[in-house]
Amino acid sequence: MLIVTRRPGEKVMVGDDVVVEVMEISGNSVRIGITAPRSVPVYREEIWATIQAENAAAAATDPKALPDGVPAPKK
Amino acid sequence: MTTLHSSRFGDLEIPEEAVIDFPAGLIGLGGRRYALLSRTEDAAFAWLHSLDDPELAVPVTNPWRFFDGFEVELSDDEAARVGLSEDDAARASVYVTVRTGEHAEDFCANLRAPIVIADGRGHQIINQAQDAPIRAPLFGEHAVAAAAA
Repeated sequence: MLIVTRRPGEKVMVGDDVVVEVMEISGNSVRIGITAPRSVPVYREEIWATIQAENAAAAATDPKALPDGVPAPKK
Repeated sequence: MTTLHSSRFGDLEIPEEAVIDFPAGLIGLGGRRYALLSRTEDAAFAWLHSLDDPELAVPVTNPWRFFDGFEVELSDDEAARVGLSEDDAARASVYVTVRTGEHAEDFCANLRAPIVIADGRGHQIINQAQDAPIRAPLFGEHAVAAAAA
């Protein structure tokens, strides 16, 4: 993990396109601004992790658990 | 035509027009090219199957089939990322992932992260609507209670 010290107003570049800016520090919370290309989704980690886990659980489904048998492509 | 060597369903021929491009994949699972597989046009469950990973597939359903009041609300940022205009949104198909369980009451749909498909392109989005639980029971007393609440 790369660890850097930044002050409010200072930024970090992730590659050429993603900019992470420390906006404000107040008490024990930090406001962060993220500028990323439109095509890059940005999530709060806990939301990402919850949905990732739910997707993984769905992806572990045995077709026998569902009533519809072997499917054909839907156009 | 692409041949999908599915670990679940064996070899399936997927016509080009059935291929759906997911520029950002499914959240945490990735994948780029998927196809929707379903037994019949009105089957309760379909499978969103990766064309790149023979083992990656998630069961999905039409949320309105089980949840009358289901709504999708996108943040402005996400609407811009997905690039859906109001007109596109009206034409889009919406699916939710399903997880199964030993009992019917354990079957749940993820209303918080629906999958929106329009014009051969798909995105899994975060639903900002108030009542959009990650695990909404599909059947049984829970579902009845939830519908009545």
